[in-house]
This record gives sequence, structure tokens and C-alpha cells, in this order.
Amino acid sequence: MNLLPTAEQREIVESLRSFLGAHAPVSRLRPPAPQTGNSDHRLFGGLGDLGIWGCGLPEAAGGVGLSAAEESLIYRELGRNLLSPAIFALTLGAHLLLQFDEKLLSSFVDGSARVGIANPRGRISLAAQSNGDVHMFDCAEAEWVLISDESGTALFRRDDFADIQPVRSMDNLVTLHRARLLDARPWFWTAARDRLLHERALLLLSAFAVGIAEATRDMAVEYAKIREQFGRPIGSFQAIKHICADMAIRCEAALCQTAFASLVLAEGHDGLAFHATSSKLVAAASAVKNASQNIQVHGAIGFTAEADPHLFLKRAHLIEQLWSDSRRCRERLLSLDLPE
Amino acid sequence: MNLHFSAEDIAFRAQARDWLHEHVPRERRPHAGPAARAYDLAWQALQHDAGWAGISWPKEYGGLGLSLTRQLIWHEEYARANAPDHHLCFVALNHAGPTIMANGSEAHKQYHLPRILKGEVIWCQGFSEPNAGSDLASLRTRARVDGDQLVVSGSKIWTSHGHLSDWQELLVRTDASTPKHKGISWVICDMKSAGLTLRPIEIMTSPNQTHFVQCFYDDVRIPLTNVVGALNDGWNVAMSTLAFERGSAQIRDQIRYAYLVEEMIAKAVERLGNDCPLSRDEIGARLADLRADMAAARAMTYMVVSRADAGIGGSEASLMRAMVGETQQRARRLALDILGPYALENPEKDDWVYFYLRSFSITIAAGTAQIQRNIIGERVLGLPR
Repeated sequence: MNLLPTAEQREIVESLRSFLGAHAPVSRLRPPAPQTGNSDHRLFGGLGDLGIWGCGLPEAAGGVGLSAAEESLIYRELGRNLLSPAIFALTLGAHLLLQFDEKLLSSFVDGSARVGIANPRGRISLAAQSNGDVHMFDCAEAEWVLISDESGTALFRRDDFADIQPVRSMDNLVTLHRARLLDARPWFWTAARDRLLHERALLLLSAFAVGIAEATRDMAVEYAKIREQFGRPIGSFQAIKHICADMAIRCEAALCQTAFASLVLAEGHDGLAFHATSSKLVAAASAVKNASQNIQVHGAIGFTAEADPHLFLKRAHLIEQLWSDSRRCRERLLSLDLPE
Repeated sequence: MNLHFSAEDIAFRAQARDWLHEHVPRERRPHAGPAARAYDLAWQALQHDAGWAGISWPKEYGGLGLSLTRQLIWHEEYARANAPDHHLCFVALNHAGPTIMANGSEAHKQYHLPRILKGEVIWCQGFSEPNAGSDLASLRTRARVDGDQLVVSGSKIWTSHGHLSDWQELLVRTDASTPKHKGISWVICDMKSAGLTLRPIEIMTSPNQTHFVQCFYDDVRIPLTNVVGALNDGWNVAMSTLAFERGSAQIRDQIRYAYLVEEMIAKAVERLGNDCPLSRDEIGARLADLRADMAAARAMTYMVVSRADAGIGGSEASLMRAMVGETQQRARRLALDILGPYALENPEKDDWVYFYLRSFSITIAAGTAQIQRNIIGERVLGLPR
């Protein structure tokens, strides 16, 4: 038993960090960059070259042959850098296509497929004839759209959706559309009995949320060290210090539970649904709370669009809503048995 | 990263599970008094006689010297078997014993360590004072050297089970002229010493239940040979073994509380009846959050052990302690809300109300939640003092 990354895993994280540091720093999102939507899809090919999207796929399928443990380390970094939520469609789509379509699979693994994601608004059924209302994120130019919920995980073409209406997004750095599925047949999907992909979706979302929680903790701590009031760095006051300490506690809880759950998936232990759902609940709450507290620690500048804290808060709320919001996670958690 | 255990570890787990299943006392542990002392010592003696005492103690001192992984396995099985906690034996096994191992003389080791492991003695702590709580280093109980003796005068407080103890690990000021962290000595005090009087202090759990005592030292004479480590080096001696368990024992609490939450879910279903499914009730939402947070607390404990095993971290353990403490308090509070009006009854044999009241100590004892946050802020995050 060991929850610390191995030397090999740390290397993967380091090379990803250096790529993201060079090509996807959070500063890429500040003006003069357009303040609606994002152009992260241009980074997906480079990330594909690093093996990011096929990380958890067998080498025979063009993947790297690693597991959910490495995937969650990767998504933590992608969360820290606020990558477009379209990334979830690449990793999960690749896992889905593994069973169905090798040719299309390779375009997901190398990051060339144009993808976006959709999230149910209310009840939805993913089946041969899928019905329900959805939100689409970063789907403006997508060809493929991935949805995951407890009834399954499915890939549609954008054209399969009806009534596509643009809506202003609270997280203005992603595009948002309302749309609906009317007896639409997914091109590829797994049914409810195969929940593995949905659990993996919850894990990737949790890891992304861990990244947000950690990034906002770090921003708050750095600011508390340099910002002076009453002649002292504000981080020397317990009122601020304890907010930062609470942020660190939340990060540790979210990180450890997500790491644990990713190993339950990677090694095939019992209790995956319980641990993945717990991760989503703990990590999403940590991300939203830390992002909120980060604004408070920054004071007035934290309330402006000139600084980054608001970006993390908005993305944290998006992650919290995706593919099982906290309310649904609680309901589900109550219906599961406690694993040993 | 992995959750694997070796074949040898799995065999060890089976062995521990079998023994515990067979030998864990079935009688309910008395909450206080001489009966509690007898119960705890008998359980320690039973473990000793079967060769299970001192799982984290090195072999040279009569322990089992288990690896951290094996300790973790033992504690997991211990909790699953619902074995009683160390309680009155805690200070001896986890603090006084390890301190003597690290800093004591040969005579200290030979006399005290076997008695602790065999379950013959109870130790208590004499650290806090009426005016030295979180600021422990400002302690003022004085000890002057007189020939081959120390003469102690002053007062200690919040000494758990002092009235049931044989020995006390006592911090005294032996040099008042130096800065406060210096000039302190760590001394073994015989609780039967002349000039030592105890005032019982009842705690908030229930009437007539003494948990703490206040100790008054009126020229208490202690042989100089009872000083552990060097005279005036007591602060370092005390700090050297504060993290002796390195987190592995915490897993017991994590598992116990996870079971408690399951009991709470069953009770809540019963109380709400068929009219209101748990998932639609506010109690249900709080139970679900608790289940998730308990799972996270356990994963955090695994992380503390992973770091300790790799020889890194230290202050990071405060993250787990802070989370665990508050999650446990929340669980106890929710148990009360599940009981509803029956929470106002406090029968002798009901654990939920008793432990709700008891839970207020969790964020005070062994470093308040606020001191923990100072440690996290300064030592983990590097914020200025």
C-alpha cells in the first residue's frame, strides 16, 4: 500500500507540467485573449503526442498501457491549468471506442478529433433511442459529443442533437448551448450495466477538481505572503492563515480520496462506485470552496476580471454540475453498501 | 501508487484477525474509575501474554518491531474486531514508553518498559498548567536541585486519569534564567510521592465522572536519577516522540467511525419510517457527506503512512488530524439529530449521547484545531509567523 506517485509517475507529471507551462499557462486566458470560449483544441494534438489521451489504453490500441492512477495524476494537472472540458471527451471517448472503432479511436488518442461534451439537464436516458435535454460545452465546432451518466456513456455527432441554442455561459471561457436528444441513436455507447466508464468519468472530474482546489490554495498562499496590510504580510494574521490552512486540508482530503479511488479502479478492487462517488463529492466541494476562499483572500482584486480567481470558481461550479451533481452523488452514495 | 499487500502481509492479517476475533473482551468497557483501570490493564496483559504487545515498539525493548504496513494491518483488524482502545494505557504505550526508549538510561528502560508492556502500570501526563495550555513552553512548575533530588512545586492540570495512575511524565522548569524552551526537564514522577495532592475534575459527559485531575506539588522530592535525557533538555525530549505512531494507529478510529456512520444510517431509516426516504431528507444528505468524508479521512491516513514510510513529511500529518477531528465531531452531532427528542435522554448504556458530549475534546486535546492550523499555515504552507 502506497499512495505516493512512483518515480515513473512523477516523470509523467513533470513532462506534462513543462508542456502546460510553455503552452497552456492560465495567463493564456487573460485579455487580450477573447473572453468567450477558448482555443484549447489547438493544444490537443501536442498533448496527444505526449500520450495524454491514450494514457490508460493498451499499447496494442495505440495507448500507453497505464491506468486510472496515471490518468488522475494527469487530470489534476489539466485542472490546475483550466483546460477546456472537451478533454473529458477525448479520454473517455477513447476508452469507449476501444470496443468499437479503431480508426476513429486513433483520432481521439492523437487529439485530432474535434470533440465536446454534453451534460443532462434533468432526467435523460442513454440508449438506442436517447431522449432528454442537455447542455453542450465547447461543442461550437465539435464533430463528436460525449455524455456520461448512470444510464451509460455515449458518443453522438453534433448533428444528432435538436434545437441547438447558444446560451451565455457563467463560465465564459467555455461555449454553452442548450440542445435536446429526440429519439437519437448514439453512434457508440455502453449501457447502464457497464458502469465502468461512468466511474472513470467521475474520477477524471474529481482529479480535475483536485487541480482547481490546489491551484487556488497556491494562489491564496502566495498572495498572503506578498500582500501587506498593517505593515505585515496578511498571511501572518491567523484570520488569513487559517483560511489557507483549511484550503490545504480540503486539498489533502480531495487528493487522497481521488488517488485511493483511482487505485480501486486500476487494480479492480471492490467498492469502485462508492469510492468514485465519494471522490466526486469531496473533490467538487473542495474545488468550489477553495475557489471561493481564494477570492476572499485576494480581497477586491479577487472580485475583478483582471485577476484569475474568478476563472477557477466558475470552472469549479461547472465540474460540480457535470455527470452527477453533488445532490445526485449523495443520493447514490446512500444507495451503496460500504466496501470493506 | 498501489493498494497491494504482499502474500506475507496477507498471512499476517489472517493471523491477527483470528487471534483478535478469539480474544477481544466481550464485556462492555466501564467509562471511568478503578473498573476502567482494571479492564484496560487486563486487556493489555492478555495481548502481552499472547505475544501481541508493543506492535510498534522495537524488538530490543520487548515489542514486535512491525513495519508500518504491518502496524496498519494490525490496527485495521483491531478496529474490525471492535477491540477496546488503549485508553488508560495510551500515555505509557505511545508516549512515555517511546520517550524512555529514545532518551532514558539503561535503568529507566529495564525497570519501566517491561512493566508497561505487561499491563502492570498506568502512566499519566503532567504537561499542561493552568497558565500553560497551547503555549506549553511557558510552563512554570519549578524544580530545584537539592543534593541528589529535585524538589518540585507548582501545579499541573488536565491530567487524564491521574487518580488512576502509577507514574507521571512530568515537565518542570529547572532553569528559570534561560529562554522558555530551554530550562525545562522531563521527569518520571511517582504518583504516590509525598506532597503530591490531586483535585478531581469532572467533565461534561455526565455527573460524578472524574476524567481529569489537577495535581498540586508541594515540595515533592523526586530522585535526580528520574530525569530522562539531560537536565534542562526536557523540551527536546518531549518533542522527540510526539509522532511515535507515525499515523498508523489512526486507521482504527477511521474504521470505527465508518461503522458508526453505518449504524447511524440504519437508525435514521428506522426513525424516518416509510413516509420519508432517507435520500429526500436533510439527515440523509448529511449522512452521505459523512460517508464520503470518512472515506477521504481513511485515504488521508494511508497517505500519512505512505509519507512516513518514505521518510518524508511530518507536519503534513496535521492535515489529516484536522480533517479527522472535525469529521468525527460532525458525526457525533448528526447522531444526536438522528435521535431527535431521545437525544435529551442520557441512559447509562447509550453511547451516542455520551460520545457526543465527549467529542468536544477532540478539537482541544493534543493541540487545538487552531494550533493545528497554525502548524499547517507555517510549516506546511510556509506562511509567516
